[in-house]
Amino acid sequence: MSRTTGERIIFWALPAVAVVWIAAFLLFPGFVPPMSPKASAAQVAAFYAHHTSRVRYSMILLNWFCVALIPILMLIVERMRLMAHRTPILRYCVIGVAGAAPIVFLTSTVFWLLAAFRPYRSPDLTLLYNDLAWITFTCGVPFLVALCLFIAVAIYLDQQAEPVFARWVGHFNLIIAVALVPAGFAGLTLSGVFAWNGFLSFWVKNVAIAVWLVVMAVVLGGALQRHREPAEALV
Amino acid sequence: MKRPKLLDDPKRELWLAWYATICFYSLYAIVFFIVTRTQPPGKPWYDPTQVVAWFAGRHEGLLIGFALIFVLGGLSATSIALITYSIRRMSVSRAYSYSYLIIYAVSAVPGFLFICVAMTVGAMRPDRSPEIQRWLYDLGFLSFSGTMGVFLIGSLIWMTAILLDKNRVFPKWFAYLNLCNALTEVVVAPSWIFHTGAFAWNGVIAWWINVVVFGLYTGAFIYLLRCLILREDFGTGPLPDLASKRWHQIFPAEVGVS
Repeated sequence: MSRTTGERIIFWALPAVAVVWIAAFLLFPGFVPPMSPKASAAQVAAFYAHHTSRVRYSMILLNWFCVALIPILMLIVERMRLMAHRTPILRYCVIGVAGAAPIVFLTSTVFWLLAAFRPYRSPDLTLLYNDLAWITFTCGVPFLVALCLFIAVAIYLDQQAEPVFARWVGHFNLIIAVALVPAGFAGLTLSGVFAWNGFLSFWVKNVAIAVWLVVMAVVLGGALQRHREPAEALV
Repeated sequence: MKRPKLLDDPKRELWLAWYATICFYSLYAIVFFIVTRTQPPGKPWYDPTQVVAWFAGRHEGLLIGFALIFVLGGLSATSIALITYSIRRMSVSRAYSYSYLIIYAVSAVPGFLFICVAMTVGAMRPDRSPEIQRWLYDLGFLSFSGTMGVFLIGSLIWMTAILLDKNRVFPKWFAYLNLCNALTEVVVAPSWIFHTGAFAWNGVIAWWINVVVFGLYTGAFIYLLRCLILREDFGTGPLPDLASKRWHQIFPAEVGVS
């Protein structure tokens, strides 16, 4: 008798959530192109005064849906039960970072929404909210880096005839972890590839997150097909 | 090619997490005490101009040090995972281990990410208005020392689990060290009120005593987690003893009790 475990609902919600994420990303006028950290307080205040509505709507969308990453990560945690591990340590590690990773995004949306809440306040205060938002959003990668490392180690240690995820998925997660590293250094400079609008800290980091989501969704879909009832296989 | 020995060790995941824990706490100590010099903390009574000078005195250190935390801070999850595992190995409900896991996972953002963000934002624009620099300075230090509830309740949960445990996973004295750690979160509360004196965020009680207790506590649990890994038999009953004299000194009253 077939039984609904609900995993497919979470899995197929991902494309819908991804559309919202992309829409919010494009709707925020500060992302395409990314705002310059060299902009003066007056320029930043003018940005929020001119684009108040788009900042609000895009950040409300991101605020609503960034946390939708957590159920997706929990699907990965459930696949990890089937790995040839002796202990649940790596699952606990992933659960340990799964909450904080999207909460960092959530915190940055709060700063962006605050910046747009009273765009006619003193420009220095709007610049402060803008800096807090951008640094939280850009540098806040520790939990994503650790997530990729934990998943990579989990895959390498899954030594069985039919591993849950192929070995290359482990290598892939390591590459993504490395791609996220430069963003952590965005506070060091206001211009160049490491600045929050730079090639490494903005484009490489955000493209890496998008590619990670697509690739992990595809391999997760494959793993879901192969193992229909993981919760019953292992108690 | 010879297969690495670690891969065949049934305790490999535990050892990896333990070594990652050592790396995380070493990084944490080096960044906070040496690179950023945010510990011992700045003075809570500084006026805005003094705060600007404080930021100027450690400009590169703040930016580089906290960048390292931005990159590697997620490794903190390895010690949380090991402690969660230790509680699950005890004869108590899984509610204890899951509570510990979720409480400490939540603590990461206010507990250490906020200070990294506030200090980075402060250091990246030294020409900002001094009043705003002091606002960031307060946010950094008070979020760091003033994120109390997660560590208070987390330590009490771990303490209760150890006291109830029949599997001798941790020695009972460590339960009382957990209580000491929980009490540091109580005595740090006045740092939200006082700008000077023993209870201020840099004071004898709110900082010096707390940091000593936290240092002892962390050193003790890292050592005891290593003992747990060595003793682990992957069963569900009492953990076997470690075959050494020192271990008998740690568990004096309980050795021989089955």
